[in-house]
Amino acid sequence: MAAEAPAVKLIGGYGSPYVHRIEMALRLKGVTYELILEDLRNKSELLFKHNPVHKLVPVLLHGDRTVCESLVILEYIDEAFDGPPLLPADPYERSEARFWAQFIDQKFARPFWFSFWTGDDVDKRAFLKEAKENLTLLEAQLKGRSFFGGDTIGFLDITACALAHWLGVTEEVTGVTLVNKEELPAFCKWADGYISDETVKQCLPVRDELVAYFSARKEMYMARARATLHK
Amino acid sequence: MSHINTAPQHLAPGTAMDTAGGEVTCVDFWANGFGMRARIALRELGVAFRYVEEDLRSGDRSELVRRMNPVHRSIPILIHGGRPVCGSVNILEYVDETWGNDGGARLLPRDPLQRAHARFWADFVDQKVFSTQTRFLKSKGAAEKEAAKEELLDQLRRLEEVLGDKTFFAGDEFGFLDAVLIPFSSMFHGYEQHGGFSLENECPSLMRWVRRCKERDSVKSVLPDEDEMYELHKKWYGITE
Repeated sequence: MAAEAPAVKLIGGYGSPYVHRIEMALRLKGVTYELILEDLRNKSELLFKHNPVHKLVPVLLHGDRTVCESLVILEYIDEAFDGPPLLPADPYERSEARFWAQFIDQKFARPFWFSFWTGDDVDKRAFLKEAKENLTLLEAQLKGRSFFGGDTIGFLDITACALAHWLGVTEEVTGVTLVNKEELPAFCKWADGYISDETVKQCLPVRDELVAYFSARKEMYMARARATLHK
Repeated sequence: MSHINTAPQHLAPGTAMDTAGGEVTCVDFWANGFGMRARIALRELGVAFRYVEEDLRSGDRSELVRRMNPVHRSIPILIHGGRPVCGSVNILEYVDETWGNDGGARLLPRDPLQRAHARFWADFVDQKVFSTQTRFLKSKGAAEKEAAKEELLDQLRRLEEVLGDKTFFAGDEFGFLDAVLIPFSSMFHGYEQHGGFSLENECPSLMRWVRRCKERDSVKSVLPDEDEMYELHKKWYGITE
């Protein structure tokens, strides 16, 4: 009798795009998993045990193995499980996908954060300009295709998931508009395509619930933005 | 050994053409720790390449860098058959996938979990160690410096734990995580001068690993002189003591 495949568990938290990345990767590979939801304001011993370095979600538990850091987990999932590949096969195309994934994780946070969560007393124009420029650069990587991965969702699409869904939610919560169809047509088409995808819909937080979640935290984010603006 | 001379060099006689699709060039600066990773990796895998120096001391980036890395305008840049690969860890992955082979030298281990560990700790080095090092070297007050120093030592000890009893980070063979971390050792003398401590005392096992790495031709020929590294960083960070 064949041995059972080791259990796959994902330690996550509500509303995290990083956790969504991993859920998508597992689903695209056809891997059954158990989602363990953390209360991120009251982290569990399980999380501290499995991610002592960063104490963050997502954390992938695969049998007795632990993998942390979302982009590291994505590559692990692509390598450890059978199923359609998440990354392209060609080394150069892989390097491009990795480059843009790093770009998303490093370059978007600051201008986006300060564009949305600073008050009217702050001149946001430079942040908005930078955020838009970053989106324009990323949009160019679509190269006329539906998704960064080509015809179907791949590594870079799931890495960019926050831009497809959380960005619109943040615009609604803050009243700050960053994206419009005239300036970023391909990006908007991509975002609509992403959130309409059947697999995505199975693990994407419902928009209204996310709006409520972020609205409840608006004051906290604005205070944090105010405090870190001049660092 | 003084820094590499600024004229483009051919490391192998004849052209720097490789068998996997075109000429290989690495754009870098002798004191750039991120670039040292790329150059060590290329040498480890026996890839002939042309080295083009970009002087980071000048304010403006060259036309080549602006053209090949328009998004970040940073180095190192690996150019293979005219196409750029940017980002030091990205370059290591590309070099491994293009020139590494199962029969011979490889940078990353084969097992997916081992690969994940190597990538996780490389990310730790980049997320934590580099920014702590910068903060430590730039800190102006004694308290700030002390706090940064403790954090830096803590991070190095953490990496020492990851190394454990092994020869190199993945085991018996020099690889990805060794290449990621070893360039930082060229600043160890600088840390000691700046912080008034001895890494032999604080991280003896890590220092033994450093010496093992430096026995390798790839590392020996790439790592710059530690005094020169510290002098340069003193100028960059305005360290006056």
